[in-house]
Amino acid sequence: MTPSALREQSPAAVGSDPAYLSLTDVCKIYPNGYRAVDSLNIDVPEGQMLGLLGPSGCGKTTTLRMIAGLIEISSGHIRVAGRELAQEPPHKRDMGLVFQNYALFPHMTVAENVAFGLQMRGIPFREARTRVEEALEMVRLPGYGSRKPKELSGGQQQRVALARALVIRPRILLLDEPLSNLDAKLRDEMRVEIREIQQRLKITTVFVTHDQVEALTMCDLVGVMHKGRLAQLGTPEDIYERPNSLFVSEFVGRTNKVRAEVVDLNRIRIGSEVFSADTGGRREGTVWATVRPHRIALSPDRDRALMSRQTNAVRGRVLRVTYIGDIVQYDLDIGGAEFKVEHHTTSQGARYSGGQTLMCEWAPADMLVYGEET
Amino acid sequence: MTMSLSRAAQRRLLLWALLLPMAVVNFVTFILPMLRLGMISFIEARPGGVLTDVFTFGNYIDFFRDPFSYKLIWNSLRMSLIVTLGTLVAAYPIALFLYRVNPVWRNILFVITISPLLVSAVVRTYGWMVLLGNKGLINGLLMSAGLIDGPIRLMNNELGVYIGLIEIMIPYMALALIAGFGRLDPVYEEAAAMLGANAFTRFYRIIVPLTMPGILLGCLLVFVLSVSSFITPKLLGGGRVFLLATEVYDQAIVRLEWTQAASTSVIVLLIFGLAMMLYTRIARRYE
Repeated sequence: MTPSALREQSPAAVGSDPAYLSLTDVCKIYPNGYRAVDSLNIDVPEGQMLGLLGPSGCGKTTTLRMIAGLIEISSGHIRVAGRELAQEPPHKRDMGLVFQNYALFPHMTVAENVAFGLQMRGIPFREARTRVEEALEMVRLPGYGSRKPKELSGGQQQRVALARALVIRPRILLLDEPLSNLDAKLRDEMRVEIREIQQRLKITTVFVTHDQVEALTMCDLVGVMHKGRLAQLGTPEDIYERPNSLFVSEFVGRTNKVRAEVVDLNRIRIGSEVFSADTGGRREGTVWATVRPHRIALSPDRDRALMSRQTNAVRGRVLRVTYIGDIVQYDLDIGGAEFKVEHHTTSQGARYSGGQTLMCEWAPADMLVYGEET
Repeated sequence: MTMSLSRAAQRRLLLWALLLPMAVVNFVTFILPMLRLGMISFIEARPGGVLTDVFTFGNYIDFFRDPFSYKLIWNSLRMSLIVTLGTLVAAYPIALFLYRVNPVWRNILFVITISPLLVSAVVRTYGWMVLLGNKGLINGLLMSAGLIDGPIRLMNNELGVYIGLIEIMIPYMALALIAGFGRLDPVYEEAAAMLGANAFTRFYRIIVPLTMPGILLGCLLVFVLSVSSFITPKLLGGGRVFLLATEVYDQAIVRLEWTQAASTSVIVLLIFGLAMMLYTRIARRYE
């Protein structure tokens, strides 16, 4: 099953379900005054998966560790099913955490690792053994119980860590960049697997990642964080199609960012060309305009008068052609500004070459306008 | 160097050449005397201590016939184990703290921890005598405070030996512990906490097993040093504490019974050998 197919099964509704995990005005301020996390407000409905996405140092891991109780919050509330947990020590929070480096106890076997949380809960030996076996089966590692963690590959260790976190049937599952130490192929596999298990168990999950593909493909909700603040919270589609800031539009996916002058409510000027775009109520001033590279269609040069007025159509000159394999990237000069355009390749390879003049088209809705960067 | 040697062979030759000086020194100052010691333990001595050329098992037979010998072995093992355990309990928190404190403080505190090694064990033992004696600082303070009527015996008994030896051994134990703390990573404690383990459980299920290599190394080191120490037991034991090491000293220096001293020494060496074997067997389990 593909990641996108998995996502379709869950209605990614924002704000309709009551919050199960709820962060209210959560702050982390260090003694030196540094605000690692600043007034964070996030509600996650039961059974949904929240992805915290952001560059390193944005506060996403700090947030995860505050939910876990491994870092004390400076102010605010962390509630699970309405119960305040902010003052509870981590061992009383009943959450499962998969660490970035897995943190499997090196002195215990796989089975002892998975059984640890059950022992802490006083589960009788017989039942614990059954549950450990079930958990190892769930992560497709049956019969690995007697091995030591160091005898396993990275992907297998990752699965054991997942089994260890889930076997205690935690109220919340926390994943701290769980895929970042795996190679690309395994990462794709584990992405699907983790999502599948999460949906089967319907466990409310917080997933920290700097990888937008992971966030978009696996999560019901994505929170983009920037400098300790929540830049945007929404469904993957919201985040990608309707980024609410220049930061989000640049961080999630690739985009062209160019300087533009507002002409009127529906038009902007870039260099010598005028384009249709929603200026967000602006009537004048300098703005940033963005359009995603693959939303620009290219065709051989022809008379502009023949084309639909519904689209932005403009001539551009090919500066560079970069063949990447699955896509080919054209760097174009459009009205004095440089745009990148990406197209899927065919067996013919790149269709256009440097120096050619092409007709470039995109829908006004694909051109987003932002004010000054904050 | 001849041209016929390959570069690799030259390198190998150089490595051996570099090892040679220390090997020679070790052979002359350690291996030869040890062999000589072993030989003397099988030689008969005339009354008065003059060595003969006669081979004999007599020194060992005398040792094992004398009931006092078993008391010596028992005392040595018992007291060394108690010292080892006491030192472990005293040094473990220090080592754990040093391992976790921020790096700026770590170096300073580390130097302070091992600074007692700058003063010889003999001097420190005399220092303890000043503190522990009947008219010493501790008894003096307690009596002037009216907490006790007469002095408590803090030395010239086993207690004094324990106090002195444990203090002397702490730097060695701390060094060995820290050297063996390599696997201790706070992330394991966090993982255990997330799984529901409280601080106490985290300590004995995670921290202790992960630091076991350090614990074993430190215990071996301190045990061996304790079994072979004789000045501190002699001075703080006040002639009332009888151990293998003090017996070797008396035999060799006081009574001039060199052959007996040699055989007793060999028995002490055998105890070290047993301790090493036990250590390697247990340590293998924690690799």
